[in-house]
Amino acid sequence: MKRRNTFAQGRPLALVEDSPLRRVDPRTKLALSLCASLAVMLPLERLLAAMGVYILLLLWARLLPMAARQVWRLKWILLGLFIVDWLLVSHELAVLIVLRLVLLSGTFTLFFATTTPGELRLALEWFHVPYRYAFSVSLAFQSLSLLDEEWRAIYEAQQARGAWRPQPGWRNIMKQVRELIALSVPAVVMTTKRAWAMTEAASARGFDAPHRRPYRRLSMQALDWLLLAATLAFALALLLWR
Amino acid sequence: MSSMPINAEYRLRAESVTYRYPQNNHGLEQTTLALQPGELVLVTGPSGCGKSTLARCFTGLIPHLYHGDLKGEVWLGALRSVDAPLWQLTERAGMVFQNPAAQMLAVSVEEEIVFGLENLGLPPEAIRERLNATLARFGLTALRDRVPQTLSGGEQQKVALVAMIARQPDILVLDEPLSMLDVTAATELVAYLRNLAREGITVVVCEHRSEYLADIPKLRTIVLDGDAVSVDISDAESPPLAAKPPPFRLEVENLGVRLGGRAILRDLSFSAQGGEVVVVVGRNGVGKTTLLRALAGLQKHAGRISIVGKQPASATKDVRPDLGLVFQNADLQLFNASVRDEILYRISEPDMAWYAYLLQILGLTRYEDVPPLLLSEGEKKRVALATVLMRRPKHGVLLDEPALGQDTVHKTMLMRMARGLAEQGYLVMMTTHDLTLAAQADRLLLLGAEGWVVDGPPAQVMRDPEPWARIGLAVPAWLSLPADESGQL
Repeated sequence: MKRRNTFAQGRPLALVEDSPLRRVDPRTKLALSLCASLAVMLPLERLLAAMGVYILLLLWARLLPMAARQVWRLKWILLGLFIVDWLLVSHELAVLIVLRLVLLSGTFTLFFATTTPGELRLALEWFHVPYRYAFSVSLAFQSLSLLDEEWRAIYEAQQARGAWRPQPGWRNIMKQVRELIALSVPAVVMTTKRAWAMTEAASARGFDAPHRRPYRRLSMQALDWLLLAATLAFALALLLWR
Repeated sequence: MSSMPINAEYRLRAESVTYRYPQNNHGLEQTTLALQPGELVLVTGPSGCGKSTLARCFTGLIPHLYHGDLKGEVWLGALRSVDAPLWQLTERAGMVFQNPAAQMLAVSVEEEIVFGLENLGLPPEAIRERLNATLARFGLTALRDRVPQTLSGGEQQKVALVAMIARQPDILVLDEPLSMLDVTAATELVAYLRNLAREGITVVVCEHRSEYLADIPKLRTIVLDGDAVSVDISDAESPPLAAKPPPFRLEVENLGVRLGGRAILRDLSFSAQGGEVVVVVGRNGVGKTTLLRALAGLQKHAGRISIVGKQPASATKDVRPDLGLVFQNADLQLFNASVRDEILYRISEPDMAWYAYLLQILGLTRYEDVPPLLLSEGEKKRVALATVLMRRPKHGVLLDEPALGQDTVHKTMLMRMARGLAEQGYLVMMTTHDLTLAAQADRLLLLGAEGWVVDGPPAQVMRDPEPWARIGLAVPAWLSLPADESGQL
């Protein structure tokens, strides 16, 4: 898998350059992801069948390893939900809930692993989202991958000055929460500063100009139309099948 | 101050401008000036004197984004900054900010440049033409598709500058553009700015490292003094440290670090001993910060690092770390409600004489009750240094770019403190792009992509151009070289 070295290579939002979906119009991909998520309405047997189709799609798009990593990151949440549902309701419901979450969490990998923030902004603008909001959403999407690295940098910086000394064990839970102040204050400050620095930088380059003209426009090609038609047919089938 | 006559020749006029930020009442003292086309202006002064504030006033960010107390008037040609919308002002005056990474808005160099051109309302063909011409002119064509955040600091600074130049403003204002650049990148940037001024652009550079611009003919220099209080360090003498370390050596053998699949450091070996002030110099992105993180026990690595036969411990394993590390970005380390709380955090029986000494020599006495996050970048960095020194690291301190945001007085003070620690047997190791600081060390090591290039006294290393050329750097002509062993200056 060839990944583009974005801000955080190996993070969930790293762009998979060699995926066939990379060149697909973002509007088609958005429709594809939304339709795939409709499958969560299905009962267990049909949900399994839809997941089979979805896995084939991920294989074709060369995104299966990335989607698997996404799901693996949620392992403790999924395990907790499974146990709670099993104990309180039934093991059938536990399996169903976990599979639905797996499908949902993996579905948007199709979109986010193959779309740049700029393409996301263009797609949102096409859906008549005002430019300033579309731009803000695309910036937020772009900044997500920085959060993990920033958190690690803060953790190390506090370690270096001896201000972060977590004490393990349930009995020290309150102390651990207090310790988090040493990490969370810089995290809030860094996030706020970054947001403000971006606002300044965008404003200094005429962000609010009323006469803005986009350099690129989206245009649907044959593959985009074909995929969109298949997506809509799939969505219709799901609605009829449930 | 008398009112200035309106003159169409002036690109920019500031008339009796004062500004106060709402959060801390700091800002800009009354300033009046007028700039003409093609002028290259250096705005300098001590930390906190209002250089960045003046830059924001010149570009309309004050009063449109900052809503403090502004008095006086700023005119960009015929536009008065309080009346014209911000987008119109930014078409006249472009601002490049201090931290290039923080102003990157796109995921490719091309998109970064295109963003500003789209906002000018240019048709796509005109954007394409101007984009290609700008990339070619500034030698950025090869970086066109690169993600800006993965570029070196020097490259990012260039992209930020070019993204603004592509908009063809009449006035270009740069806030500390040299602070994060190595000597070669800084020299190149100054050459660009001179060319822009020759082409008729009014260029305003707010900068501490004024020596890079000193030999420019017709350079206009504006010195702000603001309400900055001068620091008197003449009487500050270091009290003896509680536990002077016994003589020791830091040994590094075949140190290797890989990050994101890329080898950052390879087979690096050296040793240093207590009592030395060691400075590491190298180009942006060569691994200087990674080296310090490894020495502080914060970075996984290959090879061996030892002090008195043991791997250096970071502060989590021991309240007193072996080598305390002061990060380049002080925001990462500060979180308390006052400078006092920050420095004394979690120290059960603080040595108040040592605390008072740190406040005095770091110029922090008047900020004792101020929240550290409201201080200037240079001041925050000094608070972060105090927090690490207050814990009395066992063997010394590691300082990552300590000169960043510091004026000459505070750099002198910093070096004096480093010397004081070394005299008591501690190791002080720092990375810096500031060669005036490096010239005052005991040892100067040049780090290149393949490892160490040279290691020796600054007087000797700085007189030999060959190792500098090997890593793409040069000792600038304006630098006062330290005397060598023969006493030659």
